[in-house]
Amino acid sequence: MNDETRGGSGTREAAPEELSCEESLALVYEYLDGELPADWSDAVRRHVEKCRLCYPYFDFERMFLDYVHEAGEGAALANPGLERRIRDLIAGEDGS
Amino acid sequence: MNESSENGENRRREFESEALPHLDALFGLALRLTGGDEARSEDLVQDSVLKAWRSWDRFEVGTNCRAWLMTILRNTFINQYRRDRSRPAQVEFEEIAEGPGAGTLYDADPEGRVFDRLVNEHVIRAIEELPDEFRVPVVLADIEGLGYQEVADTLGIPVGTVKSRLFRGRRRLQERLHMFAEEMGYLP
Repeated sequence: MNDETRGGSGTREAAPEELSCEESLALVYEYLDGELPADWSDAVRRHVEKCRLCYPYFDFERMFLDYVHEAGEGAALANPGLERRIRDLIAGEDGS
Repeated sequence: MNESSENGENRRREFESEALPHLDALFGLALRLTGGDEARSEDLVQDSVLKAWRSWDRFEVGTNCRAWLMTILRNTFINQYRRDRSRPAQVEFEEIAEGPGAGTLYDADPEGRVFDRLVNEHVIRAIEELPDEFRVPVVLADIEGLGYQEVADTLGIPVGTVKSRLFRGRRRLQERLHMFAEEMGYLP
């Protein structure tokens, strides 16, 4: 990861018409995270849509990020004692 | 019961019925942020709910209480995290090759079939096992949906560092999921 690479971050030059596989792959997460400026995002999309090597990889990374999001936001069963403790503390503050 | 104590009672009942149903969701987020530390997560949930109770007058009933509570918990955690940040980094930031490579999860399973077969507990475990430096940005960005700049502002680090930590954190997650998938016999 090098922020100085073309399209890497912050102050970017205008996106080129064509990106190489290497350039597109370096931007995979910024692209999937929706963090690229529109012209760079369009340039990555144009490359990925026609590249038989990059397309499946971008698809895989998108599946991975969706999987992490869905699995990670799940609730966990809190100890019933925690709720009791919180209720007691609230009641205590309320009465003070 | 006089009018004042009756109002207080109603306010407390209102808070409990709005906020306490979200304890499990709050506990889940706390576990992700603390790396699975149950005792610390319980303290975090408790502190956050009490803060919410003290600010209950500022909450607009009918708006998203869960999101409001999650934000309070996240901020409470981040305040602690930033306070403790003077600790030395727990990991060396080694360079990791970019893109698909031999031996990666993508290399073993390009169609991502393992994502259908592994259960949520696997990815939760993988997230909780990440070192703080990677786990916190991953939880904020990938689970909580914060943008790079928001993560950077929240953690007080440059956007470039956020990108780098997300990249490395996600790579580590994939390596761990690769191991789980092999252990479960989902991959050769």
